[in-house]
Amino acid sequence: MKKRIRIDYLSRVEGEGGLLVEIKDGGISRLNVSIFESPRFFESFLRGRPHQDIIDFTARICGICPVAYQMSSAHAVEKIFGVDVDPQIRLLRRLFYTGEWIESHALHIYLLQGPDFYGAESAWTKSEYLPLAKKGLHFKKIGNDLLSVLGGRPIHPVSVRTGGFFGVPKKKSLTALIDDLEKAYEESLHAIRWAAGLPFGGIERDMEYVSLRHPEEYPMNEGRVVSNRGLDMTMEEFFGALREHQVERSTALHSAVQRNTTMTPYLVGPLARFNLNFEMLPPEVKSIIRETGTLVPLHNTGMGIIARSAELSFAFHEAVRLIRDYEEPAKAFVEYSPRSGTATWITEAPRGMLIHRYELDDNGYVKACTLIPPTSQNLGHMEKDIHAFLQKNLEKPADYLKRECEKIIRSYDPCISCSVHVLVLKRN
Amino acid sequence: MKKPRIGVFKFTSCDGCQLSILNLEEQLLGILEVFDVAYFREVSDKPLAGHFDIAVIEGSISTDRQVEEIIDVRERSTFMISIGACATCGGVQALKNWASAAEYKRSVYPSPEVIETLATSDPISEHVHVDYELWGCPPDNSAILKTLTSFLLGRRPPVPTYALCMECKQKGIPCILVSQSEPCLGPITKAGCGVLCPSLDRPCYGCFGPKEGANIDSLFTVFKQFGYSQNECMQMIDKMNTYAYRKEKYKAASPT
Repeated sequence: MKKRIRIDYLSRVEGEGGLLVEIKDGGISRLNVSIFESPRFFESFLRGRPHQDIIDFTARICGICPVAYQMSSAHAVEKIFGVDVDPQIRLLRRLFYTGEWIESHALHIYLLQGPDFYGAESAWTKSEYLPLAKKGLHFKKIGNDLLSVLGGRPIHPVSVRTGGFFGVPKKKSLTALIDDLEKAYEESLHAIRWAAGLPFGGIERDMEYVSLRHPEEYPMNEGRVVSNRGLDMTMEEFFGALREHQVERSTALHSAVQRNTTMTPYLVGPLARFNLNFEMLPPEVKSIIRETGTLVPLHNTGMGIIARSAELSFAFHEAVRLIRDYEEPAKAFVEYSPRSGTATWITEAPRGMLIHRYELDDNGYVKACTLIPPTSQNLGHMEKDIHAFLQKNLEKPADYLKRECEKIIRSYDPCISCSVHVLVLKRN
Repeated sequence: MKKPRIGVFKFTSCDGCQLSILNLEEQLLGILEVFDVAYFREVSDKPLAGHFDIAVIEGSISTDRQVEEIIDVRERSTFMISIGACATCGGVQALKNWASAAEYKRSVYPSPEVIETLATSDPISEHVHVDYELWGCPPDNSAILKTLTSFLLGRRPPVPTYALCMECKQKGIPCILVSQSEPCLGPITKAGCGVLCPSLDRPCYGCFGPKEGANIDSLFTVFKQFGYSQNECMQMIDKMNTYAYRKEKYKAASPT
């Protein structure tokens, strides 16, 4: 028996990737999630640039999560310069992030992954799916409206700078959004029930989940790096334990946590965050999750849509809370003087931990940098999931396997454009 | 009337321009009523097939495979519209055009020999004929909508080609170049963003690329009076639209 599963271009994912699997003599002889997105060398052309450019350039890595790049880089630079921001600036940054989580999660839940559960090729091809597509677009718009108030535009916002913002919004332009946010929150609670009731395939596996954890809130901009297997580190310590390695015949640098001599792949993203920070979700969200009979932690990556839906509700809820608490600060940013140093900062992008590390010179110009997006951290488990699924279903027709593999990959919400330092292999 | 067939294609980019189309949100459903969206891989499984009345292109050309693909898309399309900084002028990754690609690869990857990439990141128009270019990093999504509807009406899209300064004056924003001596790229940059940065007291950093006939050297003379070095001035234009600004700069400098 010999079978070949080949996906030339994955659809309903961000960026360009494919899959190649070969099944021979009852076993999987080859499995590659291939990524042929052309590299863009951000780490190279940031060298020698002034520190504000870091914020504006790294945003251009990803049109779906530019705020994540702006947050990780602003924090890292502020850490080097020893800048402490005003509590209201901290609040606005968190609010900024809720806007991006809303926009990104709504896109993935309703436009990218959702159609898989209805056998639809896109969100608009089946009339029975259209109400869900409309709901998703409506949620997404609310996230984008929030981003526009805070950053001028949702894609590559222009307001973020070291020390705070170039300009901060008036309280009333934010309170104008509360009505929509509250209604969306109510609707999103129903949507959690919908997500939890979807027919899930896939396989439960035991994985190491890694995310930030903060003592008082669901993690976004700050916290320690924790896992379900005892990891509890500062961001710098985690960067030290992180190993990126090139995998034979695979196409990307895979990430793993090193303990003594063993390397463990790990999972980041909504599912990991949800599993590790469930208690920090709003009480209503938690009780709905429990009512649906969903067992936390989730061990099936296919169920990421439940975690994403819970986080979508959380983001609406949190945005309202933050807007209510907001008071316009006297100054939009704090003054600082550049100085040399090296720092790592991690924030929770919609898709998981986004790791930035910079080395700056005396004038705050970039000497070196490393950027590790969530998707490249998840590639190891993505391939393991596909492997585990295929191992149990080797006898099924190739067409079916191909469709299911594609669904598994999509359930990760991979952002291939994001994978800044991903290898590109010659295609056959 | 048969709905015009539209295809959305991605090359080397951040996906943001395609997302700008999706960010039309409630209007997106209207687009689906008047156009047959026949190819849009980011949101649809529909395979590439047939002829397109309009091909919308995001991203720059930076591999051999992409050179072949863009020629194929051109051959299948009546009109081709490139959107965003990457497609119109190579994007921020065109910074590698001024450096050694080999060195870039070495600095990111442990085994650089397996990376396949061209030495340059090119605008779409360097490989095929492009009928219309919509600038911006990202372009304004209402401009995308206007461009598509103009196609239906057989009109030229009403997208501005004048300098950002015009928009700034219309909005009554005090000039930060003149009054605060801030290095604002407004005088040499296309309008179209809605004056996002000057509204926040931030100098324009050039998302929409150079306006035609921009006098870059003259603006640099002013920046130098503010105390910026030639290198700092160059870094200001060497961003998302580096290739276009440099072309405009040297075009103006060379004798005709």
